Amino acid sequence: MTVLTMPAQPAAQDTPALRPLPWHRMAWVTWRQHRATLISVAAVFAALATFLLIAGADIHHNYAVLLACHDGCGALNAHFNETDWHLANGVNIMMDGGVAFIGAFVGAPLLAREIETGTYRYAWTQAFGRERWTIAKLVLLGTTIAVLAWALSQVFDWFFQPMVPQEDMTILTATVFDTHGIVFAFWALAAFTIGAFAGMLVRRIVPAMAITLVAYLALSLVAWDLRKYYPVAMVASIPNTPSTTTGTGGPIPFSMNAPWVLNTWNSGTTNWEKYIPVSRFWPMQLIESGWLLVLSAALVAATAWLVHRRAV
Amino acid sequence: MTVFTLSARPGQDTAGQPAPVRWRGMLWVTWRQQRAALVSVAILLGAAVIFLVVEGRQTRHDYAAALACRGGFAACQAVGNRFYGTDWHAAIAATAAMQAIPVLLAMFTGPSVLAREFENGTFRYTWTQGIGRVRWTVAKLTLLAAALTAVTAALGQLYDWFYAPFLSAKNTPWYTATVLDTHGIVFAAWTLAAFCVGAFLGMLFRRILPAMAATLGVYAGLAVATYAELRKNYPVALVTSNASLFASPNPTRDSPWIVRTWESGGTQWWRYIPESRSWPMQVFEAGWLLVLSLLLIAGTLWLVRRHAT
Repeated sequence: MTVLTMPAQPAAQDTPALRPLPWHRMAWVTWRQHRATLISVAAVFAALATFLLIAGADIHHNYAVLLACHDGCGALNAHFNETDWHLANGVNIMMDGGVAFIGAFVGAPLLAREIETGTYRYAWTQAFGRERWTIAKLVLLGTTIAVLAWALSQVFDWFFQPMVPQEDMTILTATVFDTHGIVFAFWALAAFTIGAFAGMLVRRIVPAMAITLVAYLALSLVAWDLRKYYPVAMVASIPNTPSTTTGTGGPIPFSMNAPWVLNTWNSGTTNWEKYIPVSRFWPMQLIESGWLLVLSAALVAATAWLVHRRAV
Repeated sequence: MTVFTLSARPGQDTAGQPAPVRWRGMLWVTWRQQRAALVSVAILLGAAVIFLVVEGRQTRHDYAAALACRGGFAACQAVGNRFYGTDWHAAIAATAAMQAIPVLLAMFTGPSVLAREFENGTFRYTWTQGIGRVRWTVAKLTLLAAALTAVTAALGQLYDWFYAPFLSAKNTPWYTATVLDTHGIVFAAWTLAAFCVGAFLGMLFRRILPAMAATLGVYAGLAVATYAELRKNYPVALVTSNASLFASPNPTRDSPWIVRTWESGGTQWWRYIPESRSWPMQVFEAGWLLVLSLLLIAGTLWLVRRHAT
């Protein structure tokens, strides 16, 4: 039941338009209700970023020393590949998997807590209206999470930068692609909206968290496979596949600029190869961010629809 | 306030001593209160077991085929691709999942035991039953910890069986963190410690979500500290100046783990852990994790006793 301000003498004054409350009022409400969560997420990201900056300075220094070394580099190489690589790989895997926890800890309790504790009876009967309340909250929190995640991924990109050439990876390698560019922010947004939707679907916090983790894992595995089908691949006959190191063609020695070979086949006397060159990194990032954004928007709409349907 | 069964005529009945409620009753109570969590854990681990069994048999078949292949490079490459390609990717995924299982199990079962009671206010009922709050907590935590430890011990053994072909094929050193973590009793010990961390933090914070997040953080910190520093300092290392032990440049499965090397008086010394000490290392790690778990349970019980009602 909405309460509107009406003039005491309706006929004597201009009929007031029945205007709903402006959207920006939800900014204050969202902050008040979720400041603990937002501050915690920001604090954890800041701590992680500080660690990445300190450890990254060390790794960059070690890598510079390694590059400058011309003789007797065995020990330096071994140390870099052991200690520094294990640390960087560990952090990379943690970042890849940690996004799921953003969805579980921020997204799932968002609506599930209101329903579990019964406070939805108050929150949804304010002048703002429950669907607009849901959409405003999800958009505000989702954008904040995405921006914080983007900032963290930029720091991580700098941290991880020596590992790509050193450890036989390219920026199209699955775990590297996930954490570079803009895609990390959109994965965080997708995890958040998956969590919010699961929370409204299941209406209990802890089961919603479990479902979010499982759903996010399934989605990222699907995405790794889906990348092969992005419309950016090229076909060429070997030995005409461009190699950036020899420049003329021939079998591609593995380097950080080597293309991602999807398929090779034989047709008559020529060998054909379907591959994605490294230069297609940004188109692939935009495609992936695009469908993640569409998915997130669809989940926000679905969550608002569930909120609309539920009887108070 | 505990309620004892008292006989109606204290002076005359032989069974005059008040008898506390039996421990067996807690078996039913724990099942009733935690059955959702226990069933979910059983389903997920069951799926993991099925995956490991099916994929493990396929892997062994592929490995045998790859070893037996004599047809030359082209023919054997297709056979080898199944083992070194598909099966290896599945093994990597299984290894990553095994690293996550202890903390995920603990996060979802540990804090809920006590924190949920506080969040819902139901501790006022559960703690005033005939069994008393301390014995209630001891029984619940012990039962859940025992169930989780037994299940993960079995899962660890199954994973050992699953991963065995890759240990020989890839020549992974025995001291690699992911290999040590999942072998034998260490995997079960980590799960037990994580569960006790979760239960303790659940009682400390008395709110589920902060306890879950804190469990994740504490476990991650403990795991990183163990990989990076603690394992090297287990009291099982040997010191030698015999360079012939470290002759091969590339680590193989049985290579000794060089912890530290220094020069003194013209000779090079190595502090290392030989492969024969891997079992003592596992026992030592399981041991300190067990001690940590017991301390955390004791801490939880102390907090439970202190709490005013």
